[in-house]
Amino acid sequence: MARVGVFVCFCGANIAEYLDVPQVVEEVKRIREVKYAVDYKYMCSDPGQGLIRDAIVQHKLTSIVVAACSPRMHEKTFRKALSDAGMNPYLLEVANIREHSSWVHQKNKKAATDKAMDLCRMAVAKSIANEQLHEISVPVTKRALVIGGGIAGIQAALDIADARIPVVLVEKSPSIGGKMAQLDETFPTLDCSQCILTPKMVDVASHPYIELIPYAEVIELQGFVGNYKAKIKKKASYVNFKTCTGCGACWQKCPVKVANEYNLGLDKRKAIYTPFPQAVPNKPVIDAEHCTMLLKGKCGICAKVCQPGAIDYQMQDEVIEREIGAVVVATGYDMWDPTPYEEYGVGRFKDIITSLEFERMVSANGPTNGVPLRPSDGKVPKNVVFIKCIGSRDEAKGIEYCSKICCMYTTKHTILLHHKVHDSHAYVFYMDIRAAGKGYEEFVKKAQTDTAATYLRGRVSKIYKKGDKLMVRGEDAQIGQVVEVEADLVVLATAVSAPKDNPDLARLLGISYDKYGYLSEAHPKLRPVETAKAGIFLAGCTQAPKDIPETVSQASACAAKVCGLFAGDTMKKDPMVSTINIEYCSGCLNCINVCPYTAIVTDEVPIGHGSKELRTVAYINEGVCQGCGSCVAICRSMAINLAGFTDPQIINEIVSI
Amino acid sequence: MISLGSQGKNTFMEAVNIKSGANVLECYQCGKCVSTCPVSQYMDFPPREIMQMIKLGLRNECYMANSHWFCLTCSACSGRCPREIDIPAVMEAIRHLAIEENYVNDSKKVREIRKFHEIFLEMIKRYGRNYELRMMAEFNIRTRNLFKDVHLAPKALLKGKIPLGVKPLKSAKAIKRMYAMAEKLEKKK
Repeated sequence: MARVGVFVCFCGANIAEYLDVPQVVEEVKRIREVKYAVDYKYMCSDPGQGLIRDAIVQHKLTSIVVAACSPRMHEKTFRKALSDAGMNPYLLEVANIREHSSWVHQKNKKAATDKAMDLCRMAVAKSIANEQLHEISVPVTKRALVIGGGIAGIQAALDIADARIPVVLVEKSPSIGGKMAQLDETFPTLDCSQCILTPKMVDVASHPYIELIPYAEVIELQGFVGNYKAKIKKKASYVNFKTCTGCGACWQKCPVKVANEYNLGLDKRKAIYTPFPQAVPNKPVIDAEHCTMLLKGKCGICAKVCQPGAIDYQMQDEVIEREIGAVVVATGYDMWDPTPYEEYGVGRFKDIITSLEFERMVSANGPTNGVPLRPSDGKVPKNVVFIKCIGSRDEAKGIEYCSKICCMYTTKHTILLHHKVHDSHAYVFYMDIRAAGKGYEEFVKKAQTDTAATYLRGRVSKIYKKGDKLMVRGEDAQIGQVVEVEADLVVLATAVSAPKDNPDLARLLGISYDKYGYLSEAHPKLRPVETAKAGIFLAGCTQAPKDIPETVSQASACAAKVCGLFAGDTMKKDPMVSTINIEYCSGCLNCINVCPYTAIVTDEVPIGHGSKELRTVAYINEGVCQGCGSCVAICRSMAINLAGFTDPQIINEIVSI
Repeated sequence: MISLGSQGKNTFMEAVNIKSGANVLECYQCGKCVSTCPVSQYMDFPPREIMQMIKLGLRNECYMANSHWFCLTCSACSGRCPREIDIPAVMEAIRHLAIEENYVNDSKKVREIRKFHEIFLEMIKRYGRNYELRMMAEFNIRTRNLFKDVHLAPKALLKGKIPLGVKPLKSAKAIKRMYAMAEKLEKKK
């Protein structure tokens, strides 16, 4: 017969003040299977755990109930106490009499005590049916996949590779670098973005543990933590990277001119191009949508001028496979399109540009060689109006959230404007100045005092044209009056938005995303870089808007998680996973639809013993299963059982009250 | 509506900054000065708004405001200002600039305040110190309001708040010389 020990905790005054702990102990002692029951001030402390260890030995207990705080808090602590006493740790049950009773029924001691007794009775009843469970060992492929080659992906890849773990870095565009490569200087220190980024890009290309796959996308991910298989589609570049020397003869001679994405269409590039001079790898690709040779079969100049003969018009997309153990998703962000702001004349007035366009203009390698120019007439602007919160914090036209970085990059822009055009004046329309970060508030003060940027508190109501000037009208709430600024150039601080492809990517990876399209972390505070799916981690803006220091920290955190995962040859995980009794499985496969972790796949088994005919059943991969229990609830033939939460355990619980 | 961007350099702010020795740009509009100021409720624009108006270069609006005339120069605001701006000095600077540029609020209240300042300075010039009874009388006569606050006089007299005579200071002569020098300097301008 089962011999249960019950240990009721005072939790200082947290439990004892609101319910009668000794009475609970007396009550549980009446249960037939309970052979030992005791209370203690702090059961989680070392003497408290000692009580449990000693009782296990003395009273030959077969299962343990600890009535204390939430299992989220101390289940692991008490499991370890059981192991130390030579008992299977999964014979523990926790009755949560703090969060579920004392804290929520502070005004009624009797009711709280009664409820605590019920909770203890249930836990005792459940523990009687507890079985010995054992941690699951899963083998690990020690190779990481990093999706996205912006600063987040670069940092994560370098940190993982420095731990001598092979990394596959997949980047969608022809070069790594991402958005950071488009920036001029960075806040709050004003160090040059390219100067701090390009060495890291070169490190990625030359690192012996990094396999860089540019111009490619992940199209399939199968398997489970430690044992994923990724399919990667390498888009046809029409240039053999092995023989190409990156001399540049091809793009100098190419006659086709196309809007340059790197400079946001502010200038032109050729149909065969590298995105920017510092690109890594510094090899060109042919833009198949615009190349006349690929479209009409005429031209072929690049092949003629290419001395190493690297041009190959016959090249096809190629799908390669890699076995990997963990994934870091670092797909970054998109700039929000401000077209809905019709009252500002976006699209109608040429001299309204976005913040990233301004960034390209003031950048030394930008289309205007570092001087901001009015797109309409190419003149240098004197009065520049910056409007913050374009799309951000705008439920009607944009998105509810604060994009976090616009306050700071606009501050930086006012300073850069002052550096580039000395007699210019910056006006900033803002709603709040959010400068939380090391050195950020000081940076804003610098902009307001040293470069004398005029900050006007209010959203702009409209912009209209007067001659060649733009009249920007808004309120200055600081003096409660409407102001109108005569501007030469208007810069919109457009919001950060989730990449458009994120939902598709999330589905492909089997992870969740929020209503904006950002990928969801496992816990907003305590597991910010992990996803709900084991072995998939998030770095950078793909999770939420953030600045460069935060992105880099998160990328390094991902690397630490990956290294931790790969620390042993096998991984241990909790045995609370579902198992299928295939004798009962009817093959309806409803469980596959409800499983949030794609842990269930189909399997073929013989219809009967020794039969050659096969039928389809569900198969649960215990490496992937997180033990949520959705499949148990949906299974109509009751073929699925969740270890630690079996039917006898649950029924015992219900019967006991 | 206020038009910005076409007036060029903000010369008004420069003048105020030079005259006051403060940097108005440091103001981040927290409003602590307004809630500290004992007279902000009587001002057209409380100190925080005046600071913003200077930043926007609203010269005429600043001059025409009564705020700088109402300012007691008690320095409670600057004592509490987190950016350590000498706000009374800024108010003083606006008073001076407004008089220099002959652009002064002509409301009755401001006229009275200016009259009060003038009489106060006359008292100092004559006695080297303030002579309260005469000061009150002069103020009531010159503002043509003979019985203003007269009902307070008996109580104040009994408590000894208004001495009936005045003892000129020993250094009164030195103060007179100071006045003469100041007048000379004024004429040189």
